[in-house]
Amino acid sequence: MATAEYDDVRIDDVQELEREIASQRDANVPIEMETRDISVWFAKRKVLEGVSIAFPKQSVTALIGPSGCGKSTFIRTLNRLHELIPGAALAGEVLYEGSDIYAPEVDPVHIRLKIGMVFQKPNPFPSMTIRGNVLSGLKLSGMKRSNHDDIVEQTLTSAGLWNEVKDRLNAAAGDLSGGQQQRLVIARALAVNPHVLLMDEPCSALDPGSTLKIEETIRELSKEITIIIVTHNMQQAVRVADNTAFFLATDGNPGHVVEQGPTTEIFGNPRDQRTLDYVNGRFG
Amino acid sequence: MSTTQVFDESRVASLAEQRPQAPWGTRTASFRTIVILAVFIPAAIVTGLWWYTDIAKPVLMVAGYLPLQLAAAIVAAVALRGKKSAFDAVIIVLAIGATVFSLVVLVSVLWSIVTKGLEAMSTAFLFQNNEYISPSTPLGYGGVGHAVVGTVVIVGISALIAVPLGVMTAIYITEVRGRAVPYVRFFVQAMSGVPSVVAGLFILTVLILSGALNQSAFAAGLAYAILMLPTVARTAEEVLRLVPEELRTGALALGSTRAKTVLRVVVPAAKTGIITAAILGVARVVGETAPLLLTALKNDKTVLNPFAEPISALPTYIFDNVAQPYPDAVIRAWGAALTLMIIVAILFTLTRLFSSRGPSK
Ligand SMILES: Nc1ncnc2c1ncn2[C@@H]1O[C@H](COP(=O)(O)OP(=O)(O)OP(=O)(O)O)[C@@H](O)[C@H]1O
Ligand SMILES: [Mg+2]
Repeated sequence: MATAEYDDVRIDDVQELEREIASQRDANVPIEMETRDISVWFAKRKVLEGVSIAFPKQSVTALIGPSGCGKSTFIRTLNRLHELIPGAALAGEVLYEGSDIYAPEVDPVHIRLKIGMVFQKPNPFPSMTIRGNVLSGLKLSGMKRSNHDDIVEQTLTSAGLWNEVKDRLNAAAGDLSGGQQQRLVIARALAVNPHVLLMDEPCSALDPGSTLKIEETIRELSKEITIIIVTHNMQQAVRVADNTAFFLATDGNPGHVVEQGPTTEIFGNPRDQRTLDYVNGRFG
Repeated sequence: MSTTQVFDESRVASLAEQRPQAPWGTRTASFRTIVILAVFIPAAIVTGLWWYTDIAKPVLMVAGYLPLQLAAAIVAAVALRGKKSAFDAVIIVLAIGATVFSLVVLVSVLWSIVTKGLEAMSTAFLFQNNEYISPSTPLGYGGVGHAVVGTVVIVGISALIAVPLGVMTAIYITEVRGRAVPYVRFFVQAMSGVPSVVAGLFILTVLILSGALNQSAFAAGLAYAILMLPTVARTAEEVLRLVPEELRTGALALGSTRAKTVLRVVVPAAKTGIITAAILGVARVVGETAPLLLTALKNDKTVLNPFAEPISALPTYIFDNVAQPYPDAVIRAWGAALTLMIIVAILFTLTRLFSSRGPSK
């Protein structure tokens, strides 16, 4: 009993400290991306309502919530992939560096080059080699970067795949295991030097070792870029995210953000009962 | 598992003696006996009837052997596995029966082409043309060289036109996804019903009788292209549709334009299928005779200029010779049929070899 109390005290202290750090961060750090009252429809069905989240520069934001509440849908509005689905509609604004990415004069190709993405399902290009996949972003976007060998080694190392594939960079990407493929597409996304990286459950197919490696990479990358990650793994959100937004959709209503804020707050001191229940694994 | 168990390293030696087996393939003696009886009894009865009665052979096979074998299989299945497997037995016997029937038909066609065709076969036959040769000239002089060249040139021209057009049409349908897609699909479908003689007639009236073209390899290539296009477009559409949507979004998410997504990701992912579409297109036209009769006529010389003059191809060569009253001419027709089959086989093999090369090239 005595130890438990002691622990509680310590946890409170740490959280206090972290809160302070977080608020300082908030005060100083400019906003890289921001959504204002985003609502989303598939055909006539509204699946998201009034989502407003700010993503500070060089921070990691976790999006959590039960399956089907619209996390993937939301993240796909941030790099204009949502519009590729027939019947898709959207209201609200998505600001990147202060201007609306849905403004008529904006080229989505340009946006997607700055805002990279890793998908829920690994999607390496089967017609290309491992090396070809890593460099595919450069070819596809026409971006010029010299030193391809360095890029391949560096991004594969960041993604925790280098040691497994360094001797067979010219093998077909389809021969890799599911988890290896996922790490390959993470390397592919990094090779084009995005400013923002969207990750939709990037670790759902990975073993604990690779997951930790990816989390380290996320922390490392967040010194330079802004990361938005969807995850079903509460510990992961706590480990990597500065901020967390909790999405919820009830009884066929559109999903919305119930609570958002510094990760320590959302997990340590949530204001909403539903957040408390969710982060403690009581539903969802 | 109430207690933890740790692997006993001392067992490694004894485990090394294990040999790979297939326990699911082991059959008991009674099982084997029943299966053998179920196969041999009907076969024996029908063989007896075949030799010692005058029942017409096809009737015997359909009305005698098939029902007997079905009954035997059902009895065996019920005896071995219970009532539920009676239906399995029926399906298996019908499936094997249908496969054997198709194989017999195909193999007898092949067999007659190969045996009769080989009578004509010689280097002279493959490489010489038909100049100074009359239908009554004995075998050993003259051949299908000019017709092989004709077929290759005409089919080559039509493939050069129809394969890019067909693939682009498929790309319009599956990748561009414009408003006209339903109409384009309907039109392509309708075009695949165009009879080959109509394609020939169209080129004849519109391009040849109007004086724009001679009856030539190019005119014939155009007629073939009309026939080839829908096959290529529809097959290519099917294979492009199989490319997972995630690859397209994956490429777009890397800042790719639509065009590069299609050219560098989608088409390469469907490469084997697109090559198959081209092969099917070629196979669709390579034996067509009617359009050639209207647009290419015939020529006993070897013609290389695709615009200048009429040209013979293998189908027209077969058509000419098979109608002659001289046995040697008919043999030449079989030889040409064999040549046509060999050309198609070579084409298929080459494209297979080419398309099975992996991404490491
Ligand atoms: N292409 C689509 N067409 C129609 N409805 C869709 C489409 N994609 C998603 N939806 C709907 O939108 C809602 C949100 O889906 P979404 O994929 O964003 O959920 P999610 O939060 O990512 O769930 P998960 O955690 O299971 O990945 C769901 O009700 C889903 O049925
Ligand atoms: Mg999702």
